[in-house]
Amino acid sequence: MALLRIIEGGRARADDPGPRAPVRTDAGLLAELYEKYAPAVYARCRYLLCDDEAAKDALQETFAKALRALAEFRAAASPTTWILRIATNHCLNELRARKAAWREQLQALGRERRSETEPPDRRELVRVLLSAAPAEAQEVAVLYYVDELTQAEIGQELGRSLPTVRKRLREFLACAREALAQALPGIALPEGDEP
Amino acid sequence: MNIELGGPGQGCSAMRLRRFAAGELPAAESARVREHLQGCARCQATMDELRAEQNALRAAVPFDGFAAGVAEKLARVPARRTWSRLVPLAAAAGIVLAAGLSLRRADDGGFRSKGAASAQLFVKDARGVHALAPGEAVAQGAQLLVSLTPAGSSTVEVTLVEPQETTVLYRGPARAGPLPQAFEWTGTGSARVVVRFGGGGSTEIELYR
Repeated sequence: MALLRIIEGGRARADDPGPRAPVRTDAGLLAELYEKYAPAVYARCRYLLCDDEAAKDALQETFAKALRALAEFRAAASPTTWILRIATNHCLNELRARKAAWREQLQALGRERRSETEPPDRRELVRVLLSAAPAEAQEVAVLYYVDELTQAEIGQELGRSLPTVRKRLREFLACAREALAQALPGIALPEGDEP
Repeated sequence: MNIELGGPGQGCSAMRLRRFAAGELPAAESARVREHLQGCARCQATMDELRAEQNALRAAVPFDGFAAGVAEKLARVPARRTWSRLVPLAAAAGIVLAAGLSLRRADDGGFRSKGAASAQLFVKDARGVHALAPGEAVAQGAQLLVSLTPAGSSTVEVTLVEPQETTVLYRGPARAGPLPQAFEWTGTGSARVVVRFGGGGSTEIELYR
């Protein structure tokens, strides 16, 4: 069986000293993780990056990070949430580096509709609007609108207070409204729909 | 036209369904989700999407390619920041120092070592490969390689300290021999390469130009 070098005992943050005790393990562990978590991670990367090759790369990067922090991954209250957050943050960083052009993308979403009365795809709209929001609000918006965690669950996951989560969501919505007004004036978010 | 962006619904959450499918929920919550799922079209549609995700992954990224890609990423140490005046060179750029070079403890002149662990800097220039001597100027275009003697230390951090900024060149496991990547120093004046081992040893190497 193919051998894969796995690093245990590190943490996932990029500024972490990283691996401490290199160990060898067989591909069985990776096969298990692939079956259980890779579908969701790949879907998340494709959704955020809109590019199959970039998504494949991000998928592998996410699992490399997870394996470097295997102990933390295993110990997470929800390994699914943990690894999806790694993937989401990796992709959001990629998007920021690309300086995603949300204005053009919103206009394209508007053009892709079959008729003026048809709303744009909700999830696509969220994805494009992420690029118009500040970095701190982006992950909170993904956790709320894509993963559909409640605000309390988001607070717990991020170690933030409920008012902070609410503030981030309001920031996202304010930027989203502004972006829509600029690029897609026929579409608006309902007022008084603050999370 | 108004459009809702979505969010969690009454008892509906994509993440909860993912956790349900992954067997992460406590038994009581899992039973609640199973019951809710039977009568909720929205959650049934989400479950269909989760199944489609599995097929999409298998079609696009079969396991063997995935495993190879992950192994390749694991072999690399993540870069902490953008390189400034120290340009990384590809490991395959022609520096072969791992074999055949015997390391000596560098504890003289510009090389200050504490503890048993130490490091040495090798230079590859037009004249060949040699250990950087204390006070020796680094030629333009010379390729630099830091070689480690971890002496039991499991981790190491290698930093370039310049008057205006500090750059982490490598952070990770300390393995005897050269770091996987060679560097070119493009700065002027003087700088220090500081090698700190997790076990407490450290070495400072002065660079001059």
